[in-house]
Amino acid sequence: MLEKKTKIYWLFILPGCLFLAVFMLIPLFSLIFKTFFDESGAFSLGNYFELVKSTYFQQVFWRSIRLSLISTAVSAVLGFPTAYYISKYSKNKGVLMALAVFPMFTSPVIRSFSWMVILGKKGVINTMLVSMGLTAKPISLLYNEFSMVVGFIQLFLPTMILSLIGVMDNISEDLNLAAGNLGASRASTFRHVILPLSIPGLVTGSVLVFTGCLTAYTTPQLLGGTDTRVLATMIYQQAMSLGDWTQASVVAVVMIVITIVISNGINYISRKLNPTI
Amino acid sequence: MSLLELQNITAGYDKNVILKDLNFQVEKGELVSLLGSSGCGKTTTLRLIAGFSNPISGKFIFNGQDYTQVPLNKRNFGFVFQSYALFPHMTVFDNVAFGLKMRKLSQDQIKKEVMEMLETVDLKGFENRFPKEMSGGQRQRVALARALVIKPDLLLLDEPLSNLDAKLRVKMRVEIRRLQQKFGFTAIYVTHDQEECFAISDKVAIMNHGVIEQMDSPSVIYNHPRTEFIARFVGFENFLDLKRTGEAGKYQAGDNSMIQVTEHKDGENFKACIRPEDILIVPDDSGAVNPLKGEIMVSTFLGKRNQYNVRTAIGEFEVSTDQESVYKIGDKVTLSLTPGKIILL
Repeated sequence: MLEKKTKIYWLFILPGCLFLAVFMLIPLFSLIFKTFFDESGAFSLGNYFELVKSTYFQQVFWRSIRLSLISTAVSAVLGFPTAYYISKYSKNKGVLMALAVFPMFTSPVIRSFSWMVILGKKGVINTMLVSMGLTAKPISLLYNEFSMVVGFIQLFLPTMILSLIGVMDNISEDLNLAAGNLGASRASTFRHVILPLSIPGLVTGSVLVFTGCLTAYTTPQLLGGTDTRVLATMIYQQAMSLGDWTQASVVAVVMIVITIVISNGINYISRKLNPTI
Repeated sequence: MSLLELQNITAGYDKNVILKDLNFQVEKGELVSLLGSSGCGKTTTLRLIAGFSNPISGKFIFNGQDYTQVPLNKRNFGFVFQSYALFPHMTVFDNVAFGLKMRKLSQDQIKKEVMEMLETVDLKGFENRFPKEMSGGQRQRVALARALVIKPDLLLLDEPLSNLDAKLRVKMRVEIRRLQQKFGFTAIYVTHDQEECFAISDKVAIMNHGVIEQMDSPSVIYNHPRTEFIARFVGFENFLDLKRTGEAGKYQAGDNSMIQVTEHKDGENFKACIRPEDILIVPDDSGAVNPLKGEIMVSTFLGKRNQYNVRTAIGEFEVSTDQESVYKIGDKVTLSLTPGKIILL
């Protein structure tokens, strides 16, 4: 009886699976497949060796990793106290949650344009700095790594806050009181109880932010410069500007592999830190 | 002087007053229960003593000092939560050791005291388990050990047994009483379970709508309730209005019949009460004390006993009897109220 029912329920996910298979998995695998053959059609890892040897790729690769890690770390540092306040102390939780996720309601293009207005040579910040006499000439805040990180953080901070709040809401107030009752100050309670119990949320948030930053295209394209390409913009450049689809696919495969390795790595470390997750 | 004293405490949140001008004392070494139905303010009182919340007005004196504004982490009171509130990411050992670590004891000292305490609560060998790997009863004992190992000046227990099954509940309450007598600590125990609280306590304070209606030893509360609320709470189902007459020990009921009552009390008009078990059903009224004629309205079979609802001229009475004769609905009977069991309120 139960078995029969389970079989019928499989039908519900069939359309979704078919759609994904036809429009995503098949193109993706055919793309990956091609990268393992050279021009003569023989199996070869030549495409990969060539890419890894290129200094340009190495620069782009490490820049992508570095900017994603910085953005993840800053999001965690900014997001943790915000989430803690919203989850445990705020009286208007709904309003604050809405404000926290508000940036998600606009498209990354519009958000990037507003950063151009703020960070540009004639933008709000430079106008202020010059008029206050802090600098003689406007400083360059745009089309570099700084503006990209700013863009990433704004893009992904809500994700970090949401995953932290999700976990913190499940930490019973009784645990907080129990720690206090046993003599812990607020700081000790935070360090010994709230922080370790929030790690699952921090991990989920970090994985989402990191993979988001690594794969983001609009923000680095609009806020980055020609000498600050990252993996996503490099793929576009290879495929669209240079017409080298194979090379673009190789970069894409590298990007997918890093995403999987890093997110599994973070999960593994967090499980070591906290065996009860 | 009492160890703990709540003086004219008013507490609540927003405009919702939960405790009104509450006064409450506990002597050193006593186990006092706060008993009442949900919403009566018993848990609020306990949390206030623990320092989880502050009163709107009033004073909390502990050991001669004003504790009203002392923060919770400076009070040295143990608290056992209804949910146990064990730290899920810590082993049993670390849970029990937490309070000692906060007190900055040496590693060796912590280890020694935690192991001793785990042995006391019969959890030796469990120190490396996590709370989720343990049963409800075991978690309960970890929670007790964690609260006791800090040698608290006062132990506060918030319905600690309500998440356990009936058998374990009886076992654990004996355990708590044993530990309390072994260490001689002062404890306040919140519960809504009358049997549990009578079994465990030196004194019981029954709360209703944010005030303590009566605080006495369990036997006094059970046998001599002071208010109608308490009487109902401890199982007095039958109430009657009585008026004093010129003759000592004789009172007049609503239908002018005379009722003998052994208890003496000053006053003119009384509400009196009697338990269903203290009313006899007699074959006829010749020679019966305090006879009341009535008719069986409802007959309920309760196994060992039979329960009847009997309509009389002065209201309906609930009678519980283990007599063999069984009565049917509509039977005319005579009730006899035992004079020594009638309580004047």
